[in-house]
Amino acid sequence: MRFVLKTRYGQDIDLFRHNGQRFWYALLLVALLAAPWVLGDFYVGEVSLVFIYAIAGIGLMLLVGYTGLVSLGHAAFLAIGAYAHAWLLNHGWPFPASLAAAAAFTATVGALVGIPALRMTGIYLAVATLAFAEIVEQVITRWESVTGGYRGMAVPPAELFSVSLLDVDVFYYVCLAVLVACLIAALNLLRSPSGRAMVAVRDSEVAAQSMGINLARTKTLAFAVSAGFTGIAGGLLAHKIGYLAPDAFTIVLSIQLLLMVVVGGLGSMHGVIYGAIFIGLLPQGIALVRDAAPPAVAQIPGLEPGIFGAILILFLIYEPLGIHGRWVKVRQFFTEFPLYRKATHRRQRSYLRTERVR
Amino acid sequence: MSFFAAEALSLSFGGVHAVRDVSFAVEEGEVFSIIGPNGAGKTTLFNLISRFYDPDAGAIKFGGEDITRLAAHRIAAKGIARTFQNTELFAHETVLANLLIGCHAHRRTHLLEELLFLPRARRQDLAFRERVEAVIDLLHLQGYREQTISALPYGARKMVEVARALCVAPTLLLLDEPSSGLNPEETEDLSFWIEDINEDLGVTIIMVEHDMNLVSQASHRVLAMADGEVLAVGEPAAIQSHPDVLRAYLGD
Repeated sequence: MRFVLKTRYGQDIDLFRHNGQRFWYALLLVALLAAPWVLGDFYVGEVSLVFIYAIAGIGLMLLVGYTGLVSLGHAAFLAIGAYAHAWLLNHGWPFPASLAAAAAFTATVGALVGIPALRMTGIYLAVATLAFAEIVEQVITRWESVTGGYRGMAVPPAELFSVSLLDVDVFYYVCLAVLVACLIAALNLLRSPSGRAMVAVRDSEVAAQSMGINLARTKTLAFAVSAGFTGIAGGLLAHKIGYLAPDAFTIVLSIQLLLMVVVGGLGSMHGVIYGAIFIGLLPQGIALVRDAAPPAVAQIPGLEPGIFGAILILFLIYEPLGIHGRWVKVRQFFTEFPLYRKATHRRQRSYLRTERVR
Repeated sequence: MSFFAAEALSLSFGGVHAVRDVSFAVEEGEVFSIIGPNGAGKTTLFNLISRFYDPDAGAIKFGGEDITRLAAHRIAAKGIARTFQNTELFAHETVLANLLIGCHAHRRTHLLEELLFLPRARRQDLAFRERVEAVIDLLHLQGYREQTISALPYGARKMVEVARALCVAPTLLLLDEPSSGLNPEETEDLSFWIEDINEDLGVTIIMVEHDMNLVSQASHRVLAMADGEVLAVGEPAAIQSHPDVLRAYLGD
């Protein structure tokens, strides 16, 4: 068991708690940087997609896992980011400026969605965001002069420092860099007053208010930041799929994004990464199994969504804190062995929370 | 001009007059208790002061300023902090994180500084941490610092809530039944801590409390309420033998 001797308050503020963590994360980064030399083009592309999912997941996690606001409409933010980015590229904007502007635009839309959402929580908010996603889909379909409607919209090939993003390896590195930057920004937010305010709103709105936290401001901010990250992911996704059409951003995608943060583990940024790996690579896994399976099984229609659904249900029943939650428990078991107490992570029911103020 | 004053506060929910024409004044440095049988309107009065409810009539003055219509989240910056009867902690966070949230009213950074965690954000967090550690030292919470709230015993949670309120650096502290759910030893400790908070930090305290021992040990003056109205205000001993108060608790 590791004991970290703390001699400065700064150690609790730093992103890494001890040098062991610094070493392992550096090793992971080196492995990711070296991956294109080892993996084939197809898998490099798939891992880039995992990175893009992870960026969107950071956004959704801030909203669902940290602020406690459920969104079933995040595919819409992905769409807005993708279309805005493609439109700006078509109008001659350079790649970084276009991506940043697309993120800012999506964040603005997110803030506007957040305002009516202030009075809603739980299932009502989920339905409202679902309706919002439907509206966005309709707008994209009808607003042909900008989006190309059903015909779709080609994403122009972009360049970064005069290197084409069409190259799989270059795109991989761009996605990795953006993901790392987004992760650091999100972690910074979470160790600052704004991020703590989000957590406070999630756990107790009355207490948050009496600590001086403005509920309206915090929730709007959460929506805006969440939409901003998702917009960045949308911009990158536009390059990945190459041709934008409204049917790429449906409710199924929204549900997949939500599934990602739930399966990964609500309330942790590790969970985002685990969830993205899960969502990004599971279809490949299912395809591999399908190839190996007897035809009678392999040809069952709807096999993939069925397996997705089954996994989600199993997680909700047996591990509500997702892959990250399971990992924390396993790690704790070994670090505290033989003193691990089973009850440590037992879900507690609270009978005492006051209902007097709502 | 008193430090804090409620002037003719009234609030009804439909036909129920939860608080009726309640006036009282609290002087700076006082420990002021509010007692009364269940349903007397004590917690409603607290929720009026911390601005969760809007009064139908009357005014709330604090430090010479009218705060009757101030938004609930602006109260902390004015120097008023509160605890809740059944604890309203941020249950999935550590004690340390809870106390840091308590410092929120003193936030000076803006979003961009926080996203990039510029030096000013780090300095602010260090300043918050020092404030938090001072409170942890005062209330002897060192052993709980890194623990999550859901792993704490109830008595400790109550103290963490007091600590979180102190991180606001209030000049007026509202304690809603601080001793409910505590055992006799913890209640005794609480009365010493109330004394420390009051005398060492110079914080004025208004508390709703049922435990008459704690009330008479800790408070300078007591206000007795029943059915939303003030029965009597005075020294703890005088209130305990006041005929109207006895009638409210025991009946005729």
